Amino acid sequence: MPEPVGFFTDTTICIGCKACQVACHEWNNLPAQLGPPQPDGTRRPLPLSGDSYDNTRGFSDVNWRHVKFIEFFSTDLNRSQAAWLMMSDVCKHCVNAPCLEVCPTGAILRTEFDTVYINEPACNGCRDCVGACPFGVIHMSEDPNKHVAQKCTFCYDRLKNNMTPACAQACPTQSIRFGPIEQLKKIAQKRVEQLKEQKVESAQLYGADKSVLGGLNSFYLLVDRPETYGLPANPKMPSRTVPLSSLWSMLAAMLTGLGLLFAFRSRTRGHTETGVRSGAA
Amino acid sequence: MYLFVADPEWRWWIVLYFYLGGIAAGAYFCATLIDLFGRPEDHRLARLGYAIAFPVIIVCGIFLTVDLQRPERFWHMLFKSEIVHQAIGEGWPWSAAGWREITRAPLLKYWSPMSAGAWALLLFGVCSFLSLLGSLRTDGRVARIFRSSWFGRLLQIVGCILGFFVAAYTGALLSATNEPIWSDSAWIAPLFLTSAASTGLATLMLLFHSGQPAAAETAVRLERADLWVLILELVVFAVFLVSLGNLLAPVLHTHHGLLLVVVVPLLAILLPLAMHFFAGRGGTVATAVLALVGGFLLRYAIVLAPPELLAAAPHLSPRSSLSEAQTPIGTAGSVVLNRFSPEEGRDLGSGPGADPGNRTGEVQPRSKLGDGE
Repeated sequence: MPEPVGFFTDTTICIGCKACQVACHEWNNLPAQLGPPQPDGTRRPLPLSGDSYDNTRGFSDVNWRHVKFIEFFSTDLNRSQAAWLMMSDVCKHCVNAPCLEVCPTGAILRTEFDTVYINEPACNGCRDCVGACPFGVIHMSEDPNKHVAQKCTFCYDRLKNNMTPACAQACPTQSIRFGPIEQLKKIAQKRVEQLKEQKVESAQLYGADKSVLGGLNSFYLLVDRPETYGLPANPKMPSRTVPLSSLWSMLAAMLTGLGLLFAFRSRTRGHTETGVRSGAA
Repeated sequence: MYLFVADPEWRWWIVLYFYLGGIAAGAYFCATLIDLFGRPEDHRLARLGYAIAFPVIIVCGIFLTVDLQRPERFWHMLFKSEIVHQAIGEGWPWSAAGWREITRAPLLKYWSPMSAGAWALLLFGVCSFLSLLGSLRTDGRVARIFRSSWFGRLLQIVGCILGFFVAAYTGALLSATNEPIWSDSAWIAPLFLTSAASTGLATLMLLFHSGQPAAAETAVRLERADLWVLILELVVFAVFLVSLGNLLAPVLHTHHGLLLVVVVPLLAILLPLAMHFFAGRGGTVATAVLALVGGFLLRYAIVLAPPELLAAAPHLSPRSSLSEAQTPIGTAGSVVLNRFSPEEGRDLGSGPGADPGNRTGEVQPRSKLGDGE
């Protein structure tokens, strides 16, 4: 059995070059993201937004990796002061995966590398996983020949052939590191200590311990609050609501049933018994 | 509440399914309770309930299938597709090996409301069909078997429980996500259940009064039942609003949120209640119509409020402060059963978790490597 593997993304050395995003498109044969429909009904590749270096803005059916540009501009007309945080984001391949938990078809499965993989031939497009993922990773394919849930495969085909995932292979700064997860955690911890020595007190790991969905096989080094990077601080498993929903529903069902029972057994004014109970109406 | 989630784009088919499924389930459990415990003179009402439930639930099945992006794979909800294909490859249903394989095919994840709901819907369809069959004639062998025999009684008890389940699980399904509003309250399921009872009774009232001359005593009992259900729905709705806590403020910034918080209780509950108290028997039809319109708007607003909130979130206030909004009766932090699903609490590399093993061998991913590129 292979060792669980993962990504450690050090956002402090991400330069926003998007090589990872391009490599992901290239290896997985993902087409360019399409823009909104034109008046004649056709769709062209996404045009430049003109107000951000982050043109794709988020995950989509064809953007399984997304380089986030978290932009801080001054409010003057020319936006003369600017600062960025950059982060190459991807499916977290959660140890406790919400998408895998809710998937009613068994299309989302866990691989021998402890990654989470969508087996496309089994997916029927119910979209339960889309709402379950707290990171907004999964999107439905707009390709009419597919129409199934799409997300990072952790280059499952490359893993099976002892190759590094395309994004980590392409990253020129080693912001995305690939390897056995326990090894990555040690590297990450050392890097946090190094940053703290350099007085970057806000340096913190996100998803390296069990507090976030049992641990994330793709975890991050951040220098601001997780929400600043679009990461929820304390995401939860979808099934957590089920016991309470069930309990209150059973109570409501009992009260409804009892009310109906009393209402339909009650006598009404002026009513006389017209017959014996026959069973069949 | 998380504002980083994607929108599952559940729209009209799902809204219509939630609404009609509620009517079918509500009408059915009312009918079974009348058959089991009610007065013989009300059995016409029970037959009406069965006549509503089966056709409507069939329509619901069609809506759900159409909503899937791969409708031809609807059966994947119930059976492990890869195992079924393997079984067919081994000669099922004509070979013993095929049968051995197919016994491994049923797929039920009890912790996933969609998975449990798919089975419940199937079984509810069977129960409602048999009940309809038994109610087509007032006497005869079929009526005896499916309504008055021990089997008929068992069918009514099982069907009644399934009816309550079908009425409520759709709400639990919404809560079992990470979408704002839906995942912040465990009260959507009981709210849908009471609304199903109310809309089911409203449909019964409408049809009961539009057919042959209504029996006065039955009509009175029907209205008493409706009054009780409306009061219960009012209480559950109030608790649902409280359970949203300080999310209520951002919710009220959306059109669907306003509809949910202001218009729905008025149309679905308060006006029908007022009609009961002040309009008397003359207002029965209007009461029923109001409850039906309100019940529809309830599903519409609940399903469509989160997407609107997600789209509007950046303009409401800083995302992070919204993300930290607390829900007093919410569920994000309150766990009744800590490990309800095998996925929760699973350790790194320690097993399949909630993966049901829908595979017959090694999974072969699509790859450039195999293409010789």
